[in-house]
Amino acid sequence: MLDTLLPILFFSALALAAIGAVRRVRLWRQGRHSPVSLIRGLIAMPRRYLVDLHHVVARDKAMSNTHVATAGGFVLAALLAIVVHGLGLDSAILAWALLAATTCMFVGSLFVAKRRRNPPPRLSKGPWMRLPKSLIAFSLGVFLVTLPTAGILPEDLGSWVLALALAGVVAWGLGELFFGMTWGGPMKHAFAGALHLAFHRRPERFSDKHGGEGRSTGLKALRLEDPATKLGVEKPADFAWNQLLGFDACVQCGRCEAACPAFAAGQPLNPKKLIQDMVVGMVGGSDAHYAGSPYPGKPVGEHAGEPHGPIVTRPSTKGGTALVDAETLWSCTTCRACVEECPMMIEHVDAIVDMRRFLTLEHGNTPNKGAEVLDNLIATDNPGGFDPGSRTHWAADLNLPLMADKREAEVLLWLGDGVFDMRNQRTLRALVKVLRAAQVDFAVLGNEERDSGDVARRLGDEATFQSLAKRNIATLGQYRFARIVTCDPHSFHVLKNEYGELGGNYEVYHHSTYLNRLLEEGKLSLKAWKGGTVTYHDPCYLGRYNGEYEAPRDVLRALGIEVEEMARSGYRSRCCGGGGGAPITDIPGKQRIPDMRMNDVRETGAELVAVGCPQCTAMLEGVVEPRAEIKDIAELVADALIEDDSAESTSRDEAAGKARRAEEEVTL
Amino acid sequence: MAFEALFQPIQIGNQTIRNRVVSTAHAEVYATDGGMTTERYVKYYEEKAKGGCGLCICGGSSVVSIDSPQAWWSSVNLSTDRIIPHFQNLADAVHKHGGKIMIQITHMGRRSRWDGFDWSTLLSPSGIREPVHRSTCKTIEEEDIWRIVGDFAQAARRAKEGGLDGVELSAVHQHLIDQFWSPRVNKRTDEWGGSFENRMRFGMEVLKAVRAEVGDDFVVGMRITGDEFHPDGLTHDDMKQIAAYYDATGMVDFFGVVGSGCDTHNTLANVIPNMAYPPEPFLHLAAGIKEVVSVPVIHAQNIKDPNQAQRILEGGYVDLVGMTRAHIADPHFIAKIKMDQVDQIKQCVGANYCIDRQYQGLDVLCIQNAATSREYMGVPHIVEKSEGPKRKVVVVGGGPGGMEAARVSAERGHDVTLFEAAEQLGGQITLASKAPQRDQIAGITRWYQLELARLGVDQRLGTRADEATIADLRPDIVILATGGQPFLSQVPEWGYAESREESLVVSTWDILSGAVEPGKNVLIYDTICEFAGVSAADYLADKGAKVEIVTDDIKPGAAVGGTTFPTYYRSLYEKEVIMTSDLALHKVYREGDSLVAVLENEYTGAQEERVVDQIVVENGVRPDESLYYALKGQSRNKGQIDIEALYAIQPQPCLSESGEGFLLFRLGDCTAPRNTHAAIYDALRLCKDF
Repeated sequence: MLDTLLPILFFSALALAAIGAVRRVRLWRQGRHSPVSLIRGLIAMPRRYLVDLHHVVARDKAMSNTHVATAGGFVLAALLAIVVHGLGLDSAILAWALLAATTCMFVGSLFVAKRRRNPPPRLSKGPWMRLPKSLIAFSLGVFLVTLPTAGILPEDLGSWVLALALAGVVAWGLGELFFGMTWGGPMKHAFAGALHLAFHRRPERFSDKHGGEGRSTGLKALRLEDPATKLGVEKPADFAWNQLLGFDACVQCGRCEAACPAFAAGQPLNPKKLIQDMVVGMVGGSDAHYAGSPYPGKPVGEHAGEPHGPIVTRPSTKGGTALVDAETLWSCTTCRACVEECPMMIEHVDAIVDMRRFLTLEHGNTPNKGAEVLDNLIATDNPGGFDPGSRTHWAADLNLPLMADKREAEVLLWLGDGVFDMRNQRTLRALVKVLRAAQVDFAVLGNEERDSGDVARRLGDEATFQSLAKRNIATLGQYRFARIVTCDPHSFHVLKNEYGELGGNYEVYHHSTYLNRLLEEGKLSLKAWKGGTVTYHDPCYLGRYNGEYEAPRDVLRALGIEVEEMARSGYRSRCCGGGGGAPITDIPGKQRIPDMRMNDVRETGAELVAVGCPQCTAMLEGVVEPRAEIKDIAELVADALIEDDSAESTSRDEAAGKARRAEEEVTL
Repeated sequence: MAFEALFQPIQIGNQTIRNRVVSTAHAEVYATDGGMTTERYVKYYEEKAKGGCGLCICGGSSVVSIDSPQAWWSSVNLSTDRIIPHFQNLADAVHKHGGKIMIQITHMGRRSRWDGFDWSTLLSPSGIREPVHRSTCKTIEEEDIWRIVGDFAQAARRAKEGGLDGVELSAVHQHLIDQFWSPRVNKRTDEWGGSFENRMRFGMEVLKAVRAEVGDDFVVGMRITGDEFHPDGLTHDDMKQIAAYYDATGMVDFFGVVGSGCDTHNTLANVIPNMAYPPEPFLHLAAGIKEVVSVPVIHAQNIKDPNQAQRILEGGYVDLVGMTRAHIADPHFIAKIKMDQVDQIKQCVGANYCIDRQYQGLDVLCIQNAATSREYMGVPHIVEKSEGPKRKVVVVGGGPGGMEAARVSAERGHDVTLFEAAEQLGGQITLASKAPQRDQIAGITRWYQLELARLGVDQRLGTRADEATIADLRPDIVILATGGQPFLSQVPEWGYAESREESLVVSTWDILSGAVEPGKNVLIYDTICEFAGVSAADYLADKGAKVEIVTDDIKPGAAVGGTTFPTYYRSLYEKEVIMTSDLALHKVYREGDSLVAVLENEYTGAQEERVVDQIVVENGVRPDESLYYALKGQSRNKGQIDIEALYAIQPQPCLSESGEGFLLFRLGDCTAPRNTHAAIYDALRLCKDF
């Protein structure tokens, strides 16, 4: 009887899955066009799965092994079962292979079940609690029905009752694993996930065959000159189709939630919930079925959306809620912790900025200080609204060489808007001191420099970003220099990764990388570190955005400092709370992100935290004392410089009677 | 950005000044070796440059000619090429830190003393005597004029060759240039006096000669008064006319403006406004000059706070603020603003200890910062953390010496407990601040309160320490700064008794602290003649008492400095306080409800009596030695300070010796009554090596 039942079961499951797949694809296709090559994507998919995705999954060894056993067992078992039971191919070898595959899957399923017995809060519950049982049903059911095929049990063992029961178990498994895969069950992640890997909007983020590390973190430019282009994302259908596909791939593992600083701070953001809301919007309906942690302070079930309805209500609509509240989008620091953790390669930050673009450009509704900062950027080319002619006031006594005078230099020192901040001015002065000590040929743009556009872009003001970027590119184009060095990771990221699309391609160094290079070249001699314990805080825009974790640590090592690492460091570093315009939009939470970060510092017992970002410095120094001291890498190097006082004696020998230029020593 | 206006660079002539804060010219009294800017001088200015000051104008009243004597005030001597290499050291030290340095040059004319050194014949346009220095002079001759004009040019050349960034011609404080300007002093009828152009002629010839000598690539500025405040002197309108006249030549790169003339004691006090004055009292005069000139205007005079400076600059009244005493109190003023440590700035309180020493020909020192001008000796502005053992330091007494000892010990990283019997810190500073117009002296305590809290010093206020409490803390070092008590028992005839009912006299402390109600008809007998007596007189008069202050010295308040006694006198005369000198308090007796003071003339022995209802005696402080002698025997060093090490700014040898028990030191008035600076200096030099 099973011989008859099983093919029917398998093929009807496959047929239903196919229908489901077509419907699902239609949902994705509501999205906008996206220029990716389907063929090349499909060819690259296995590698992306086995290398890039596995690279992320393997950070959790137990779960990785569980997934390999379960998913690998399932794929093999499904293929073999279709052949053995669906097509009825009577081969003992295949049957034995099928037994092995189901055994493997069964073992994996037990571990899945074990994890679900006491699941961590980050995991979604609901249908996901059912999945291990379904996996066990499938693997056990198929195993049992295969025993006779393999000749272990007689063909006609048991009664029709037993056969029916077995068929029922197999049907349950098939329902979840074939039908559920395309009709929105938990197994959807396998289907959408595989295709997302193939058709990912950022193919360049995946590693290449030669082992080159893939990276793609720059935001994509809006085509402002095309009047048909909508400014950002208003409705779910405004996302690119492969973004929708990406949302649909979410496995609700909550690794993003666990990494999100805004979520931890009690701000109304949970990246996992956000992605699920996008799926809700794509399909149409309410978020009532969501079974994970909500946005802090926002109960589930009050929001609903549809593919062609607005994601965020206009502020003028009183009391109405749409799919997501604006403050959820403005809570994000764009730190990429979620993206870094996501095993499904979902691009949360892209989605958030896409939606912010619409709010800022179409509604003009950037909260709190947002509008003021953007107005300042438009009027003064800097977010603080400072006199643009005062960019070098901090260096009035340093005789900084100007590009406008020199026309060419080996290093163009990009100062960033930290020029207006007294704290950052100390870092800049330290950096200048170090560059001079290493006799680097450098020059600055001075008052010709403008804000890099980072904040405008993260706040969704693509127009102001592009205006600033294009003018900076035009200015940079007038001069000859080998490379740009900056102590601001935000400028660094934008210059390195986001100006290219607008025609500005440069070799850009974060100062820690450049200082490390100077040290390696033996151009600096340093005194040994005599201070206490030191930890290092990785800036998001240097680390996760640009993969630079080692150079700052190398510099610290060269200073004789052994870094006492925080539990969250490197690619898992916790954001300081200062990115993405978050201090400007200032969405309240239960605690402040920098306070949490300083607690991380405190746990190491460090007396000093070395940083490499003006924003991180400002955020961490905003934490009330007692707390560790905060110093930029450049300051630490400058403090340790063994200075050659021959410069002083030379100047004394210069012709007396002429007022001499200030010496290069900098004390402040 | 906070304090944005302060940190706008400005161009003066060919120089870019990194911010708007200037240490204006003042006589330092640090030059040695015949007026040379040697090590102490250089380090003093280097510290300001290191601390971020934009422009230092050094050498107030530095002389260009040998007949303008420099030795009285150890000022800088630009009359010889010998100065050039010294200037090079000075310029290098300041430039190294991004600062700029210029020097004030002058011929003081009649404003000096003639009775010493080269026994100069002083000069003035019309030979009129100067009252402040009691200086007589000759009427200047044409030959002198041209010699001095040439000396100015040569002095400017020396400044330039020495690498300084500019010179400031002093035409203020009644020096020779403004002696020619002022109709009060210039009565000439030749081409050097009379009409406006004639009175301007000497200054103009100086300016022309200097500019011709140094060329265009060197800053030449002028310091002028904004109003002499004398009916026969230069008015504000006169000064606007003068400033505009010189400005029109295009030869002046900046003007510094000072409110008030200063050839009388009373006007002199205006020039360096003490704590009795409101903030920036003469800013309007500088702003008036700024209206008529085309170059930057600098103004100093009671600008001490960064917020105040920001407000003045933001208002556009002047282009640069002079914060000279502010930098004497804290040469790291700018650095602390930049480090976001505004609360850590040691703010000038206007005690004028600095300038009042200078007028006596003594080196300029800060009442509250003992490191200032002692940088060359190794007395630190920033006390580094010790690399040695962490010690338990117990300080007894929260007056200036105790507070400084606690601060410095805590900066060294030690575990510090401070006992103070009163409910608040300050000691005698608290008493001093109770007098009218003297409240700002409490700023000294305010800074210590902030610093001691920041440094986590365990402060036991309202707690009198004794042997047992000290022993309980198991200290490594005990510092006694317990001060003393008014010394009323010295003369038994004064009738002092411990019981207030029985005592015929009370102390100035009783009055200022409010412990004793003011009488209605009060005699103050002040044999010390420092602040306490006149403060008590002012306090009592302020409360409505009829007051006579009597001293056996030459005048009441005789030991109060030259820029401070005038503000006391203004207040005392206004309140009709009678000031009597040359009488000693011989005896006090009670007669009915009244007290009778028997006073005896110092020079004739004649006695006279006053019938009053309250007699206040100011006879200084008697050290409180009881706790010292209780602890002395138990201490390892028997309470002794190695004075050779102390004076050489070296660590006390006993610190490196081991043994049982604690080290004991005493500071300030509990040793011998001296002053605030003495207590703070001893505390700093003693504790900096703990």
